[in-house]
Amino acid sequence: MSRTTEAVLVSLAAALAGAGAVIASLAAGEAPTYDALVAPAVFLAAFGGLLLAVRRWAGRAARSLVPLAAWLTALGWVEVARIDRDLGRLQQWWLLVGAALAAGTLYLLRRRGVGVLRRYRYLFLVTGLGLLLLPLLPAGWPVRGVTLNGSRLWVRLQAGDLSLSFQPGEAAKLLIVAFLASYLADRHRALTVMPRRLGPVGLPEPRQLLPVLLAFGVSFAVLIYQRDLGASLLLFVVFAAMLYAATGRLAYPAAALVLLAGGGLAAYQYFDHVRARVEAWLHPFADFAGTGYQVAQGLFALGSGSLTGTGIGAGHPQLIPAAATDFVFAAIAEELGLAGGLAVVAAYALLAAAGFGIALRSRDPFRKLLAGGLTLTLVVQTVLIVGGVLRLLPLTGITLPFMSYGGSSLLANLVLISLLARVSHEEGS
Amino acid sequence: MPALALHLIKIGFIALLYLFLWAVGRGIAGHLRAESARSEAPTVAVTESPAQAGLTFRVTGPLILGRSPDADVVLDDQFASDFHARLAFQGGEVRLHDLGSTNGTFVNGERLAAPLTLARGDRVQIGQTVLELR
Repeated sequence: MSRTTEAVLVSLAAALAGAGAVIASLAAGEAPTYDALVAPAVFLAAFGGLLLAVRRWAGRAARSLVPLAAWLTALGWVEVARIDRDLGRLQQWWLLVGAALAAGTLYLLRRRGVGVLRRYRYLFLVTGLGLLLLPLLPAGWPVRGVTLNGSRLWVRLQAGDLSLSFQPGEAAKLLIVAFLASYLADRHRALTVMPRRLGPVGLPEPRQLLPVLLAFGVSFAVLIYQRDLGASLLLFVVFAAMLYAATGRLAYPAAALVLLAGGGLAAYQYFDHVRARVEAWLHPFADFAGTGYQVAQGLFALGSGSLTGTGIGAGHPQLIPAAATDFVFAAIAEELGLAGGLAVVAAYALLAAAGFGIALRSRDPFRKLLAGGLTLTLVVQTVLIVGGVLRLLPLTGITLPFMSYGGSSLLANLVLISLLARVSHEEGS
Repeated sequence: MPALALHLIKIGFIALLYLFLWAVGRGIAGHLRAESARSEAPTVAVTESPAQAGLTFRVTGPLILGRSPDADVVLDDQFASDFHARLAFQGGEVRLHDLGSTNGTFVNGERLAAPLTLARGDRVQIGQTVLELR
């Protein structure tokens, strides 16, 4: 892809945001609002700015990353703004902040590259785990956890009348992937050797397994205390996959699967919120007005979308609980149909291909694992939430990267894109 | 706004979405194809040698050929220098460098003066050992 194509595509994504806003107004029988003018300008400023930052500080980066992120964010924004105009306006601010943060990341790494991150790995680990557990702080503190929809994954910062809420788990996932990439890049040999045997199964030295068990423990703690099924699964799956990528040993994903099955069964037995999710997955219409309501409304939305959808602004996605966040995929599939839904899936598949391509090309183990791990978080998150909406998997509340409304999520994922761009720059392309 | 016009606008919007993805996908596919072509490391076979004829190895990265036990490919050949030559596989090409060997490195009978890109079927002679790029 040439530089010109890249710039044209980013502009096209901005135009799509504006066109979507116009179409939504027309369908509602209203005159287009100023949002239809402001949106393309904001998208052009954010992604154009990010593109310039990439060219300046990561000139040899893969050219597909920024356009894909712009496409996903633009389409997600159209749907979010159409469901709730105010959320759409807020999301534009988050987009500008996120793009600035991503550009800032590239600026900070401009001389020493991503390799400098290895030095801070234990700081990342401690900060990451701390952020994950932050929502557990009791109410009444200036920084405190907030329970929303039965999950305790928000933190509210209160200083006088000002309050700011954020989901620390989103930043934690980046820090933990950076830690794991650095840790596994050093330890992959020790973890590959399996000197002990347990029947037909080879085992690495027990102390090498400590981090694996720690990851499992942290994931489980997040599940129990924060009731956050999504973050818990995301952490665990990404960790197991990165271990496999680093060692090439199938024993790790196999062990992870056993732990996952055991942990899942235990969680189903002992935790009501997990059992409710599984019940709603298997029989969404059994308790239609209660636990099954969200999944069932999502299915109705997918169904009424049919092949090409009702058209933006002509459906009723606001009937789905959390339509602008977790269920934005169902909202898009309602208004743009199977065709639009498949386009979204295809965009994530392309992003995965680009990200894993960067990992494959990398010679340095740290960069390889960092690119692979970052791409994995996007992929696993997408599979978990799209699978949950489509009823292929039990629903785990997690954002759809770039598309869901949410500041923390958008910020973290834009920084993620800048890190991928930097890795691909350093490994040449 | 008539329903038909709205329907056409919707189809146009979806078409634009796919057009975008097609453009990006073409770029990524080209990239991955180039990468997979590049990552298929070529094989080098030892065709003549006092002791190692029939041996093959793949040029996955830079390799030092020589008599020293520290070389990546240890040549059992008394006419080879300790660190005789270097084979590198970069950007889909195999480059051969002579490392200042005593008896020289020959490609298709000609003594190597500067680093050279090898083609398939080229015969590289180091001492009494002849290698062929497959």
